[in-house]
Parts: sequence; structure tokens; C-alpha cells
Amino acid sequence: MTNEQMIKTIRDAVLDYNLDAAVDAIKAAIEDKMPPTDIIENALAPSIREIGDKFGRMEVYLPELVLAADIMNACTAMLMPLLAKEGKESRAPVIVAAVQGDIHDIGKNIVASMLIASGFNVIDMGVDVKTSDLVEKTIESKAKIICASALMSSTIGSQKDIIDFLTALGERDKHVVLVGGGPTSKEWADKIGADGWGPDATSAVRLVEEHSGVRGG
Amino acid sequence: MVQILDVMKKALEGAPMSEADWQRKLFAPTIRRLVKEHGIKFDPNNPIHSDDSLADDVFEAGFELLLETGVYCTDTSRIISYTEQEIKKALRNAPDKLRVGEGRDRKEFVPRKTEDKTPPWCLLGAAGAACSSDKSFLTLVEGYAEIPETNAITTPAITVAGGMRIRPASPLELYGTIRNAVLAREACNRVGRPGIPIMNSLATAESSISLAAALNPRFGMRSSDGYMIGCLDPMRVDFDRLNKVVLALSCGAPIGMDFAPLLGGYSSGPEGTAISDVAHHLMGVLTYQTSYSIPFPLHLQYISNSSREMLWVINAAGQAISKNTHLLSLSLNYTSAGPCTMMCLCETSASVISAIASGLSIESVGVASNKEEDRTTPVEPRVSAEIAHAVAGMKRTNANDLVKELLAKYESKLSSPPLGKTLYECWDPENRKPSKDYQDVIGAYKKEMAALGVELEPEMY
Repeated sequence: MTNEQMIKTIRDAVLDYNLDAAVDAIKAAIEDKMPPTDIIENALAPSIREIGDKFGRMEVYLPELVLAADIMNACTAMLMPLLAKEGKESRAPVIVAAVQGDIHDIGKNIVASMLIASGFNVIDMGVDVKTSDLVEKTIESKAKIICASALMSSTIGSQKDIIDFLTALGERDKHVVLVGGGPTSKEWADKIGADGWGPDATSAVRLVEEHSGVRGG
Repeated sequence: MVQILDVMKKALEGAPMSEADWQRKLFAPTIRRLVKEHGIKFDPNNPIHSDDSLADDVFEAGFELLLETGVYCTDTSRIISYTEQEIKKALRNAPDKLRVGEGRDRKEFVPRKTEDKTPPWCLLGAAGAACSSDKSFLTLVEGYAEIPETNAITTPAITVAGGMRIRPASPLELYGTIRNAVLAREACNRVGRPGIPIMNSLATAESSISLAAALNPRFGMRSSDGYMIGCLDPMRVDFDRLNKVVLALSCGAPIGMDFAPLLGGYSSGPEGTAISDVAHHLMGVLTYQTSYSIPFPLHLQYISNSSREMLWVINAAGQAISKNTHLLSLSLNYTSAGPCTMMCLCETSASVISAIASGLSIESVGVASNKEEDRTTPVEPRVSAEIAHAVAGMKRTNANDLVKELLAKYESKLSSPPLGKTLYECWDPENRKPSKDYQDVIGAYKKEMAALGVELEPEMY
């Protein structure tokens, strides 16, 4: 099988949301000595981007996005050791969480799935995450970026707490804090000293890309 | 009949499963299969359909969804399952009328049918929109209570207590919830409608402990109000919500469950969202012991339900429920645009027409996606109520033509809607009237509706 054929097989499997077929195709590509960066850049990334774009146009929905994220996770796990051998550094993880007191998970899940699908190493801490736990995990995992979601006007104060905790620990300058969720706004983000605000999951991914140096701007 | 202790037993002894697996491997694929099996198809040319067999298909699919997936309890990580007999019995025994309120404002809320002339129940107000001060809270609720069609109030939510932003389940939330109760009753007293029921009691109470605190009789809540509990989408429950059920039952008060199946979420497209909407109605009667339902399906990107797909979802699920059950259901609508814009009034009209033609009553309205403080006024619910009464009894085909005309006025602007003005920019609290600007917008809107064949009162204020 040529490289082009292998790349097409991987892309078809991803676009068909077929985890097993994607894993088999990646295994075959690895056995055939295809460089892992080629697998990511030419096969996985374009197909995942296509799914993300379809989600943005509401041609596919959250279940497909979650499947795509699962595939990306599984494939990345296979490729990471090879990338390490090649001397490629893995990206610092991104912390994603619904803040303390907030149990709404769908917006947070969409952001996490889209980040995973975009190739980020995501630590999804779930919902109602205690601020101290979130900050502790951020420092321990050497995460650079925190995406903090709040869906209620009564929980957005917890976003400010994250910044206060980081500041108190002398860690504020080492981390990028991005906030989002229904009652939040650019003004709110500015008021609490957050580094960015996104009105939706697509803009959250763009902000993470910008702050991680993946994209200029 | 399934009682709250039976629900607890099921929550403690049901099949264990992780939340992620329940959502991804059970809920989402089951919906997808049911859409196919029942041949349910969204028709963009007919946001309000006239197909009785489609109403039955959507109902059956919703019934099967609940039967197959059950309800997920996030605190026990177990599935609360119901048998076919339990669901059918609960539907038979669900209230077919509800008397709420006191004195002159004690009225009977009854179910409606498709194309029904029965006047809709109008639960009017802010639907829990964030409100920055006691002053704006009182201004809004007084305005809602003065609307002639108001059968019940849906209050805003207070966001600040003691000068501090409210935190969940904290003393601030308790004080905010108590103020929510006291001020809501005070506002109704001030305009001579002391008996009017508050049916989203209490919007500020995110936690059960806050609801419990505010139910002290000295704060004015009554068992003739309606106690609202928000369902976790999709079809999930936790102990805190079950605590609220126990609280409301202990007061002898009717329970309403609000739920927001997300188009684009785990329910997938419009067809799955309509099925999920129906299943939520049914699970509410069992799990949340509801007397009335408050569906507010939302579009994931627009965070409103005035788009073409959402009008279909409101209508398809509404027809399924009103044709196959006697459940009391209030369709809650959200607009994308804000106050003092033509788009906002056209959006709320389209969503309300879709609900009324399907046989539902209304809760109206969440303005500008209900996410900005003080960006709502008494005008939007008043327009909603007026249009709701005007179209009661309208044939579905006529309603379909009407909403298509309305869609043409705003559909292209849904992704970047005008946010309009804030409460005091377009509402004069001293004279209890909208500003001149807003009166002009209302006048233009009424002319447009008249051109579409819907005659509304020329003078609203």
C-alpha cells in the first residue's frame, strides 16, 4: 500500500467514526515506517479538522465530535512514544473544567472534545471542580492553559477564584486562564483579569491555539 | 404508582454505568436508532407540520427512549429504569388540571389540544434571567403582574446579595433566594394582584438548601405557587434535585420541571431533539413527580429556539404530547435578539405560535438568550401573551404560513442578533411604560402582524 493509500485509509476511518479501523490503519502505517508526524499532519489532523468544521456548520453533532475525540486520543496514544523517540516534545496539557459549584457539562464537554480533536493533550477535570483542586492539578501537570467554564451567573465568581489562587501562589504569570459560558462576557473576563474569553467552543479552541503558539495572533 | 421513595430505590439499586457511557453508548445511539426506526424527518418547508401520524411517531419514539435508556442518577452512577406499565400508569394519573394562585387570581390551568381555541395558560416574565438589583427585580415583576393575560409569574433571578456576587449553595444564595421570594410577592402586592401564583419558584434557588430556606412561610411562598426544578440535560438527576422534589411534595405544592434538550448536543438533530423533548416530559412525571412541564429546547449555537429547526422541534414535540397525553405543558421560548428590536418581537411571536398551534401553553420569555443582566423588559412577555391569545384555534397550515413569514424577517440574523437595549434604556418605571423608541418598535411590529393577517390591540400601553 502506498503512503497516499494509507493516509486515505486512516482519513476514511476517522471520517466514518470507526475507532477500530482507525487504530488498525495507524498500526499498519507505523509498521510500514511512515513517520508519525506524517500520520498526524496528513491523515489525522485534516480529517479531524473536517469533523470540527462540520460540527461548526451543525452538519454533525456532539456524539460525532465525542467519537472523533476518542479516536484522536487513541491514535495519539499510539504515536506519542514514536514522537518522543524522534525528539518531538509533547504539548503541555490543557486543563478543562466546569468551575466549583457548576454542574453543567455539555459546553465543557464540547470544548474538551474539540481540543482533543485538534491534537491537544486535555485533562478534563469534570464539573463542580474545587478551585484548589483545579489549581493544584494545573501546577502538578505543568499545564500552561486553563479553560474554565461557568454556565450560571452564580458560578462565574469561581472563575475569579482561579485567578486569585494562582496569584496567591505566585503562579499567575505561568498560566493562561481562559473563561467561557453563557453568563460570561469579554467585559467579565477583563474585569477578573482573565487572559481570554470565548463565546463558543470554536473560539475557545482558537484561543488555546493562539496561547499555545500553534497559531499566530 | 411510582412515588419519590420508589425513585430513590431505583436510584440506589439500578444498573450501574459510568455517566460517559450512559450518554455516549446508550442515550445518543438509542435516539439515533429511534429516529430511523420511526422514520421521523424534519421538513424545513413546514416548521409547523399537520401530520397527526408524525405526532404519534414522535410520541412513541419518546416513550421508547425513556423505556430503553431510563434516567441517569449522577450521584449513584446508576440508571433509574421504568417499566412500560409504570410509565403508562404515571401518564394516566398525571394531573389533567391544576388550580394555582389565590383569591381573584386563583385560576385553573388545563391542557390544550392541537389547534385548540382554549386560551393558553400564560406564565409570563423573565424565566430566571439575571437581574442586578432589587430595583430592577421589582420593576420587572410589577410589569409582569400588570399584564392582563398573566396567569402566573416567572421571576428573574437575583445575582447579588449583600453587595457580593452570589455563590452556589452559599449563605449568599440563601439570602438571594429569600429576597427572590419576598420581592416577588411584594411586587405583585404593589400592583393589586396579591394572589397571582409564582410558578418558577424560585429562580435564584440553584441548590435545594436555598429553596428550603426560602420556603419559610414568613417569606410569602405558598403551596398554591408552582415549584420549579431544572432537569440536567439529557435526562439526568442528582440528589440535590431529588431533595427539591421532597421539599415541594412536603409543602403540598405542584412541581414543574424545566428541561432544555439541546439541538446539536447528545440528542443530535431536530428529530432526536423532539424525541428527547417528549421523553423528558414523561420522565418528569415519574422522576421529578411533576404536575406540569416546561420544555425549552435550545439550539446549541444560537441559544434560542426561534430558528426554523427549533420551531419544528417545539411543534413536533408539542403535538406529540398534546395528542397522546393530558399533560400540562408550558413551552418556554428564548429569543436571540434583545429588547427594543423588531427581531426580538418577531422571534418570540414565531416560537409562541409554534407552541400554541401544537396544543401547548406558554412560559415567555428568555430574552437575548437569557444570559445578560437586566436585558429584558415587561414588553416581550406581554407581546408573547397577546399573540398567544390571538392565534389560539388557528389551523396548523395557517400557523405554518405565518411563522414562515416571520422567519423571513429574522432568520438570516440569528448568528449575529442585535442585543437591543437594557431594562432602563427602554422601560420607564415611573410611568410603567416602554420608552418612546420601544413604543415605535411595538407599533411597527403590530403593523407587520396586521399585514400578515393577525390583528392585535393597537394600543398596548
